[in-house]
This record gives sequence, structure tokens and C-alpha cells, in this order.
Amino acid sequence: MAKLKLGSYWASACGGCDVAILDVHEKILDIDAAADILFWPIALDFKVADVEAMPDGHMDVTLFHGAVRNSENEHLARLLRRKSKVLVAFGSCAHLGGIPSLANLYDKKEIFQYVYHDSPSTVNAEGVEPQPTTRVPEGEITIPRFYDTVMPLDFVVDVDYYVPGCPPTPKQIWNVVTAILAGNLPARGSVVGASLKTQCDECHLKKNEKKITRIKRIATEQPEHETCYLEQGFLCMGPVTRGGCDTRCQLSGVPCRGCYGPVDGVLDMGAKAISAIASVIEAKQESEIEQIVAQIPDSLRTFNRFAIGASLLRRKTL
Amino acid sequence: MKRISIDPITRLEGHGKIDIFLNEDGGVANCYFQVPELRGFEKFVQGMPVEEVPRVVSRICGV
Repeated sequence: MAKLKLGSYWASACGGCDVAILDVHEKILDIDAAADILFWPIALDFKVADVEAMPDGHMDVTLFHGAVRNSENEHLARLLRRKSKVLVAFGSCAHLGGIPSLANLYDKKEIFQYVYHDSPSTVNAEGVEPQPTTRVPEGEITIPRFYDTVMPLDFVVDVDYYVPGCPPTPKQIWNVVTAILAGNLPARGSVVGASLKTQCDECHLKKNEKKITRIKRIATEQPEHETCYLEQGFLCMGPVTRGGCDTRCQLSGVPCRGCYGPVDGVLDMGAKAISAIASVIEAKQESEIEQIVAQIPDSLRTFNRFAIGASLLRRKTL
Repeated sequence: MKRISIDPITRLEGHGKIDIFLNEDGGVANCYFQVPELRGFEKFVQGMPVEEVPRVVSRICGV
């Protein structure tokens, strides 16, 4: 049987997804035995020109990590879509915008102003900002255009499958790889390498009745580690977040932050989370409700930690 | 002027590109290293609850 042709690319990403792939440890040798990897910048020396030279549809599967934040990310998304039979949005950034899409609460001008001018560690007396094209004595050099808005992969190209997580767990990555090798993938458009249930369904913590009268923060209070964190008043994204990660955050002693994205059928993760939290607030007076809600720090980013890019809000008004 | 572009630089975390310009003798006339990425963590962590910051900036580099 011909070896599977695999690609893996990072757009606006941190490399954590690539490291999670390597965290399958010795099974990477099984992947190598079953597949030829034709593009993988973190590990192999193939260039963009090598991908451009491939016939369309040449690669069987490309795992695309990272959000689309600039014109290079978009170019690679379109290029890899064309060259791959199956394109997988891999990890929270490609899936939902991820942490980089928190930048959507600002625009390019505000980000450039701080990073290249105002930040205490910036030294830039001439007030230079990166330009897409720069004339140099030898010719012209270029860098990508920085967009105002960070997008998940499927805002730019058709995506065949989604693997959630920041990063996806190595166990789930291996499940996905074996499904790919066996040709055993579900319907196109599915989330794979995760569960159909919520985090709460899979969480080991004891659950009783949820009645929150005060919002607590792990920065200032210590939770106890046997009872549901939400019941104790610590905000947890568990009720709306897809399971499948083995509840790694809760096992580490902190509430879920939502990196696995919403369960099926949820249009907007942040709105669903607000609805879930609102339903467990215990108050008799409207003023009491207001007083409890006011204790939620940074609610916009708390409820959309990994999903601003894909949210209905999407970004601050330009 | 002949140009050699190395795009992307591989086997490191992050994105990079190098343009090398060669003179008529084939020697290196000049070389430009470009960083084609920015995400703006410096800006978007501002105002965030302090307990979130270490868990967000750990996504600057996950390698």
C-alpha cells in the first residue's frame, strides 16, 4: 500500500500543537512507517516552494494549526487547501481563533502603536513600523500584511475536520492519526479527537446542587479539590465545553477554560457559557444578581477565552 | 541581482524568512532576516485577570 502523504503547518500559532504531535513519543515511528511527511516546518526542511510545486490534491491529509492573522497565513491556508485531499483544522486557533484571536478586541493600529512605540521595552526613536514591502539597495523585500481581524481556518477555506484543544491531547491525536490511517473518518465537517459529551459529564469532581452566591477567583482563594469548582463559585467552562481531554485542567486543580470548544449544536460558546452561569446564580433580588455578576472579572475574555475569532461578536467594532 | 530566499526557516519555533542577495561573483552582497509574524500579546493581555496571564502568555511559544 502506498504511504499516506501528510502535511503539518503552523499559521498564527505557538508550536504547541506540533509539540503535542511529537508527544505521541515512540508512536511517531509508527506514523513515519505509515506516512511520508511532505511539509512540517517545525521538524523538516521543506519550503513553501516545495508545496507550490506539488500537483493539486497531492497530500492526503494536512493538519493545519494556528489562526489566520496575516496575509501569509491566508496564502498558506489557501495553498494547503488546494494541495490536500483532507484539510484538518487542528487545535483551538485553527478551530475557533484561539488565544491569538483575543487580539480581535483591538485593531491593527492599536496593536502596532503599543508593540512598536509605547511598550516600555520598545526602543524605536525613528518610529519605524513594519511595512509589507521595503525597498533595499539590492531590491525589494516583503513581509505579510497584518490583518485587523484574526480568523479561524474555516473563515478562509473549507475545512474537512476539526481537532479541538489547546493543544489537542497526544492520546486524542493518536486516535485521530489511527482513524486517518484506517480510512475511518466520520462525516466531513465533524469534530474528531474529542467526545460528544461535556466536560461536566466526564469530570471526576463531586457534583451536588449548583447555587452560586459569590464569584471566587483562583488568584485570591484556594478551591478544595473534591467538589465541582463551579459549585464552589469558581467560574468553570465545563458545562458548555466539549469533553475528550480527560479533564486535564480539573485534574490539575483548576477549572476548565474551554479550549476544547463547544459541544455540538452550540452557535456561540461565550453566550452559552453566560447562559449556563446565569442559570446557577442564586439570588432573590435583581440587585443581588447584579452584585454577583459584577464580581466576574473580564467576562468577555473569560467566556470566550479560546473562541473570540469564531464567536458571533467576532471582534471589536472597527 | 540574484536572490536566494529561504522561506520558511525551519526547525525552530516561530516564523522567519531570509533573503540573500548575491553579487556578480556569486558572493553574498547582503542578507536580510525577516520576521513575518506578530500576534500582539503585549497588547491583548492588558486588563486581564492576573491569574490568566501565565496561562495566556504560555501560548507565545508552546515548544
